[in-house]
Amino acid sequence: MKTILPVLAVLCLGTVALAAPERYLHVKVDDPVGREHVRVNIPLSLAEKVIPAINQGQLRNGKVEVGNFHANGVDLKMLFEAVKAAPDGEFVTVQEPDTNVRVAKSNGKMIVHVIDKNGSEKVDVTIPWEVAQALATAGDQQLNVEAAIQALEKAGDTTLVTVTDNHQTIRVWIDSRNTGD
Amino acid sequence: MLLLGKLGLGFLGTALVTGAIVSSEGFIHVKVHEKQTNGTHISLVVPAMIVPVTLKFVPNRYLAQGGTELRRYLPVIDAAISGLADCSDGPLVDVTDPDEHVSVVKSGGSIVVDVDDPNETVHVSVPLHATRSAIDEIAYAGGPI
Repeated sequence: MKTILPVLAVLCLGTVALAAPERYLHVKVDDPVGREHVRVNIPLSLAEKVIPAINQGQLRNGKVEVGNFHANGVDLKMLFEAVKAAPDGEFVTVQEPDTNVRVAKSNGKMIVHVIDKNGSEKVDVTIPWEVAQALATAGDQQLNVEAAIQALEKAGDTTLVTVTDNHQTIRVWIDSRNTGD
Repeated sequence: MLLLGKLGLGFLGTALVTGAIVSSEGFIHVKVHEKQTNGTHISLVVPAMIVPVTLKFVPNRYLAQGGTELRRYLPVIDAAISGLADCSDGPLVDVTDPDEHVSVVKSGGSIVVDVDDPNETVHVSVPLHATRSAIDEIAYAGGPI
């Protein structure tokens, strides 16, 4: 009995340690002017089950059709591998009178930064490379949303999207907490 | 005297088993509180098992059209309910504006919806398992799947 108890305790602790914590996708919208606040917390395991079940419009079997996107024979997987191996830096910078766009790679993440000068809107999108690669696994004219969610489950805590304008701020991020605040 | 005791025990056993079966799927709790004077206050606790069982007695003609509509979304609904059942308890949606507060929480195998607006507060708690059974019942009413 004396030997069984410690073994059981170690097994229980091991099971607890091995059990991966639930990952959540959070959406937070704050509109201080209209005094509106929205919090959405979606377990990624839930999204992983629901997305493949949706067969409506452009979303079918966990993949979304991207109408005007043509890879034209370019192997997107190889392209992503090449960009992943490339050093951090800025890849694209577009400066127009009313918009600035910047695409960069930093710390294993793809970063898209858009500033709309007219509407004073700022958009930041951060996509872990594994997620971007997973999105591209569906082939031509499709994005593999199901694979991207699976990749998100393995990605660390990160902010995916922030949108700030004169009226409201929107933040989308993932972590292991079941509350958004 | 011994016979009475046996009968009593039989009744008690039956009542206990019936109670266990009826409450096996949890309870639906609906609470409405109208804020104006003389407003309605309703608090209803119903065994969730009653809903799919009651739906069996509703003539198909009343459910057929809804069932046909529902069937298109059945795979998504099934996946959502199964996913919700498997995930941990916690807040799912919380919306606050100057007039209203709405929250949707998963709590102990149930989905709990609370609405608080200037006119009333509404609290609805529905066990997920019962929701699935009720939806299946309505969907089957439209004919075999």
